[in-house]
Order: sequence, then structure tokens, then C-alpha cells
Amino acid sequence: MRHWLRVSLHLCISLTYVLCTEASNEHFHEKLSLRSLRDGKVASTFTFTTVLNGVEPRHPETLGSKDASQHYNVFPLALGQVLREYGVTELHLSMNAGKWNYEQWGYPDELSAGTGAELWVWMGEGGPLSIEQRWDGLRNALSGLFCASLATMDEQRTTSPSMTFIPEGALPIWNRPHLLRHASLPSEHVCTENLTPFLKLLPCKSFSGIASLLNPHRLFDSDWHGMGIHVLWHPDKGVEIRLAFQSVSDPLRVSRSKRRGMCLSLKPTQSSSTKSPQDWSFRSLFNRQIDRQCPVARTSTIEVALPVNEAYSLEPSPSTVELNVARFYMTNESVPLDINFRWPAEFTYPVNPPSQSLVPLSVQRTLRGSSQAHGQVSVHLRNHLDESVQAMYLETMPWLVLFYLHTLQIKLDDAPRDDLISNISYIPSILHSRPTTLQALITVPPKATIRLTMDVTKAFLRYTEHPPDAQRGWDLPPAVIVPLVNGTLRGPAQPSLGSRIYTPILLVDLATPDFSMPYNVIIFTCTVLAFLFGTIFNLLTRKFVIVRLTLNPGCTVHDL
Amino acid sequence: MLADDAACNSRNKFAGSVYANPGRQLDLYGDNIEVDYRGYEVTVENFIRVLTGRVPPSLPRSKRLLTDSNSNIFVYMTGHGGNEFLKFQDNEEISAFDIADAFEQMYQKKRYNEIFFMIDTCQANTMYSKFYSPNILATGSSVLDESSYSHDNDYDIGVSVIDRYTHYVLEFLEGINKTSHASMQDLFNSYDVGKIHSHPGVRDDLFKRPLDKALITDFFGGVAQAEVFPPVEPQEGTPNSGEDGIVDVDVDLDAGPAVGVANETTRAQMSSPDSIHSWTLHALKELRAWACLAVVGILVAFSWSR
Repeated sequence: MRHWLRVSLHLCISLTYVLCTEASNEHFHEKLSLRSLRDGKVASTFTFTTVLNGVEPRHPETLGSKDASQHYNVFPLALGQVLREYGVTELHLSMNAGKWNYEQWGYPDELSAGTGAELWVWMGEGGPLSIEQRWDGLRNALSGLFCASLATMDEQRTTSPSMTFIPEGALPIWNRPHLLRHASLPSEHVCTENLTPFLKLLPCKSFSGIASLLNPHRLFDSDWHGMGIHVLWHPDKGVEIRLAFQSVSDPLRVSRSKRRGMCLSLKPTQSSSTKSPQDWSFRSLFNRQIDRQCPVARTSTIEVALPVNEAYSLEPSPSTVELNVARFYMTNESVPLDINFRWPAEFTYPVNPPSQSLVPLSVQRTLRGSSQAHGQVSVHLRNHLDESVQAMYLETMPWLVLFYLHTLQIKLDDAPRDDLISNISYIPSILHSRPTTLQALITVPPKATIRLTMDVTKAFLRYTEHPPDAQRGWDLPPAVIVPLVNGTLRGPAQPSLGSRIYTPILLVDLATPDFSMPYNVIIFTCTVLAFLFGTIFNLLTRKFVIVRLTLNPGCTVHDL
Repeated sequence: MLADDAACNSRNKFAGSVYANPGRQLDLYGDNIEVDYRGYEVTVENFIRVLTGRVPPSLPRSKRLLTDSNSNIFVYMTGHGGNEFLKFQDNEEISAFDIADAFEQMYQKKRYNEIFFMIDTCQANTMYSKFYSPNILATGSSVLDESSYSHDNDYDIGVSVIDRYTHYVLEFLEGINKTSHASMQDLFNSYDVGKIHSHPGVRDDLFKRPLDKALITDFFGGVAQAEVFPPVEPQEGTPNSGEDGIVDVDVDLDAGPAVGVANETTRAQMSSPDSIHSWTLHALKELRAWACLAVVGILVAFSWSR
């Protein structure tokens, strides 16, 4: 009887589950936005969003027990399994290559633009597994999923800068708090092997739709490229997965090499004479066109940012144009689709780069000092606005570089201004394990440049801690600057932070031993020679005599 | 396992590609490659862990060698090597004894049915000289005290793109398809010392099957062909073909070693040699051992008498 009850209960649960999944729709949206940049380059951002309606992230208390079976139609199962296995509420993984030029290009569409790999995760506390165990398992799983060395982001690189990396979505209210884990791997490179698993997470792969433009040979040839995986939770919508690929291509470089080829062929065609080097099309950017629509995409949009006060031509004509953005809806367009953007005017390089920056703050960070033991971190922050800007400043430095916080100085026009820095939160590093976390609130006066300096020492590594190419040095993760939107720092629960600005990464040269065999041979030979020489020298020059001690009654041993 | 990022290095003029020849006909990197171990993860320890299966529990499946006693394994290694060693990452090396012991451990754990081991380095044949586990077929590019040479120099990139031995092996294998009946003997017969500029070697004393009965497709050709068809519509053109699954290619690099382990589990039956055959083999072996002893004895006696 009891058995039957259990079976019927199971049936009921599975039936409701099936009904629920039928009712909760999965939506897949794809979007490509293209914009021409000031220096003639073209930034393209592919965004693939999958929304799983009415689903909540897995509660960590349930991690030990059996999870509900997962059945998705368009939601990537491989990623969904990882997320539920480790009870991840919010996840951001980005892998970028190159340096994003904030002043000329403005903010990227996806904010995580730091060089190398960066992973940050919000996870609920509690349950049978500790946060550290889940973080470790998650890194391993993601490194297998994305063919990256994320597993090496161990406790030597993990920090928790919760003032700077606030959740983009919402966090469910459970009885235990959510914790942040953040790690970056600046030396990680991005290549085709990372794009392959990325495409496999998409419902249409790269067979159709906007994703068919993702041609690795063109994307990895661009001046800057980066891919990102973002998982958020919205209480009203559900779990959202956003896969993004950004690249900055240079049509000028491509057309220049083409022109050179044309000069050699001595027969310029008619089209080449009328073509401006700044023109771009899907063919020229990606060497592909959209041949088929992705049938499961709920919306499939291509956005082209139109220039202001400049002539241009766009083919084919867009579906809608509003506020300097031309939109193409794939359902209205005929395939194959190849968007051509032409500039009638000849492109001229801006000899003096435009003075007004596209971001409020520009940052320059350097590691100074030629010695292999001591150095100085120096950060220049320039405010381009007419009002003072407050910004969060974050350094997550591996223990290889040790900060001396008492030497932290802020100077404005060579005059110390300690009042410009406040709210310092500092977690010192532990040698051979924990990295430094330094967060501070910095105020930059209007139209001014402040200089922030701090003395550092460079660690002396154990022999086995050196990487295989030790002479190359170690890459240090980027610093992050987040200007505050309202000029005030509210609690971390209220997202009042603006967009993150990543500094370029640094390379630190640590003292390296000579790993080569001659060094060891020389050391060994020298030791033997010194030992032999010392012994023989002593034997030859010293005179060994026996001193007889006759203890007289009036004299003590000390007098001898 | 790929230690170097040759494909997306900014000094590579052809981004996302590693070409096998200066004419750029064959792109080894392709459009849908996956690399399981790369960069600093390519270490001797990790390689031996993959082979022997001694890995932490949280290691993902893609980084394990999920084989059993029915699996045929192809191991290809290349890089800078010497007498009984191959360099990893320019700071450590794997020795012939390490690999031999790892294979023995795999044999004892029933992790393979047969192994085909191929190595292209200087003095490559010394690397398989220490094997002692059964069912291993090994081949290498050059004998002791002999260099292995590169084949083609691409002047656009400025480096040699492929090794001679690998080039000619690849050329032979490119002509093999899934249904081919070419045997390992055909592959070894295709070795031409005049073209390769070194003396490739084959070691088959541990391998139970005759080489002309061992098909190349027993170790290669486990490439799954999958096609995604568009939704059925009244008039539909030809489906997009040419998507050919995952290609296991191991790329030779300038500095770092490239180690590939291709695993083919499609094999159904292990062709165990019948008892008479094994008996003759055994007798032959014994006879050879006694003959060797006799020859050595005669030599010793001869030198003694003088």
C-alpha cells in the first residue's frame, strides 16, 4: 500500500514537473550590434540570450540530495548541469585578448573587457558542500567545458571583492547569505578551441542565424576579441544565460592589404576605385553571410549604429530606424543576408586624436622600478568631466607582488591629497597562498589628474613555483575602476555602480634562477674547489701546535 | 595537449590556422577543434595522470582518457627529444621508462586493448625501446644518434611548418578513408628513408597480431559524421554537408611538445590469437633466446681461447 502511494506520488510529481516545463517557455533571442568607431574600426557584439522562465537557481541546501531531472529544448544542457551541480546563482566568465581602448572606443557592450580570463560567481552559502569545494568543482567543470585553463585559478588567485563586483541580476532570499568568488587569469589566451564549445551551447550552433557569422579565422584576427558567458537570475523572468562574443575589426587594415594586392595586379576594378577603406560588410568582416535563419530564435535582430552628421549608405534598407540605430529583423529579411555599410567620403586618420574621451575617467597603471626586489605601482586617473567623479578602485594582486599600504599616496599636481581616498578595504596577501584585495573609494576633482603610488616588493619564489617560461615574467591581473553613477556609494545591495573600466595587465619580472645545467655544474664545481682549496690552504699556512696548560695556583683559565 | 598557442599567436599571419604545408592546403586547426590540456597544463605529470587515470574526482570528463579493455589508443608525441627522453615545455622531460611504466600500469588496469604509439623527435626510436607491456605497436621517426628533420619552410610565417616524418605519414593517412582496408604494414612500407632523411623504426614484438592484418582504421577513423538537417519544408535544397565532427590532429610546434591521445572505442571484438599461433610464437621466441645464448657463448669461448 505504502509502495503504491509512493509510486503515485512520484507520478504526480513528475506529471506536474512535465506540465510545468511545458508551461514555462524557454526563449532564445539573438542579436548582433555593429558600430563604427572613431578610428575607423568596427566593433561587433554577438549576444545570444536564453531565458528559462519560472526557474529558480538551485538551493545549496539541496546539493546533497538528488536533483530534479533537467530537460531543456534550447537552454544549453551542458551548462545547466554545471550550474545546478554546484548551486550557482550568478556566473560571469569572460575570455578576452587584446587591450580595449576605452578613450577611443567607449565602453564595450559587455563590460568584462579585462585581458585574459576572468570568472566571478555568486553562490548561496549553506548545504553539505562548502563554498570553496563548489568553487573548486565549478572551475574544473568550466575548464573542461570551455577548453581553458580555468582550473588553475586556485586559492592563489581567488578573491572576494564584493564592493566592486555586485550582482547584475537578483539574488534569491535564502536564510544564508550569498558570497562572491572572483579570480582572473591574465595570461590565458583565447582561440578556436574556446569558440568551439561556445558554439555548441547555442541551439542553432553555427549552422544558421546570426551565429553563422562567427568565423574563427576572422574573429581571432581582429584587433580585440572576447567571449563571455553570463548567467543571471531575475525573479520575474527566471534564469537567463547570455552568451556574448565581441570583436573589434579593422576594415582599414584588411582593405589596405587588398589594395596592395590590386596594385600588383595592375588592373584596378571599377568597384575598387569607388570603395572607401572604411566600408564594411559581413563578407569583409567575417568572410561569411547569413544563409539561413535560426528557426528557434524568438527574435533575431541586427542593430547598426548610424553615424551622426556624416554621410553613409546602408544596404539592404533596414526594417526600422530610430535614434541613430538601424534595425534589421531577420524574419523580415530575405536570406542570404549581407549588410553593406559604405562611407562616400574618404577616410582620413585623425592626426590628433579627439581630445574628448568617451569614458569619464581614463586610467593608466604602471609598475615602476628596475630592481627585481622592489618597485612601485603607479596609477594615473584623469577626469574628463567638469564635475568631480567618485570611483571604486580595486586591485586583486597575487602574492607575487606585495603591497605596502602605508606608502599609499595620492597626489594632485605634486601636492599630497590624502582626503581624496576613503573607504579603504584591504586584505593583505599571505605568501604562497592568498592574493591581496585592495578596494578604495577615490575622488577625482574635475578636469584633473591624480597620481596614486604605492611601494611594492616582488616575491622571491621557490624553485618549483616558477612557470616553465620563467624568464618571461608573470602577468598581473588588471585593476578595475568603477565610476559611481550618482556620485555616492550606497550599500552593495543597491547597484549604483557604473560601468567597470579595466586597466591593461602588467608584466612583473621576478628574480629567476638560471635553470640551466651549466649553472648547477659551476656551483657544484666551485663548492668542491673552494672546499679543497680551503682545506689545503689551512694545512699549508696554519701551524698546529699543542698548548699545554699548566694550571698555576695564582692564575685562572681566563688569564690564558 | 598543446603547449603553445600557435594558431592565435599574434605573430601568426593566418589567425586560427596551423597549416601543414606552405601552400596552405591543409589547415590542421580547422573550425571546430577542441584542446583539452593547453599552456602550462601540459606537464609530464598531467600526461601520465591522463594515461593511468589517476586524476582528482572533480576533473571533467573531457580531460580524462575514458578507455577500457576494448579501446584502441593512438598516442602521438612530437617535440624536442633525445636519447630516451622528450622535452615538455623546455623545462622538464619524460623518459622512455616513464612512458613504459605508464603503459604497463594501463595494461594492469585494463585501460586498453591495443596501443599504437607514434613519435617524431630526434632519436625517436629510443623512446619506445623500454616498452614491456603487451599489445603495443610503436613507430618512430629516427634511430639513435640521428636527427629528425623538418619538411617545409613557410616564408610568409618564417618557420618550418611540419616535420618530414609527420608530413609523409600524414600524406599517407590523408588517402585513407573510413572503409579502407590498408594495414599497418602498408603504412610502414610507405616509409622512404630518402624522403624522410632519417631511419624510421617499427617495434612490433609486443604486438600480437601480424602487421598486415592490423588495419589502420583500427586506430584511426573514429571520426563521427553528424549533419544537422533544416526543418522539413516543401522544397528544400541539399543539406549543408561538410561538417565532419571532431578531427583529432596533433600539431607539431616549434618549442613545446604536442601530445595527442586519440581514443577509438568503436572496435567491437578483440582478435585474440588462437592457441596454435601463440604456441608457435612462444616456441619461436624460446628458440631465438637459446640461439642468442649459444652465439654469445661461442663468442665468449672464442675470445677466451685467444
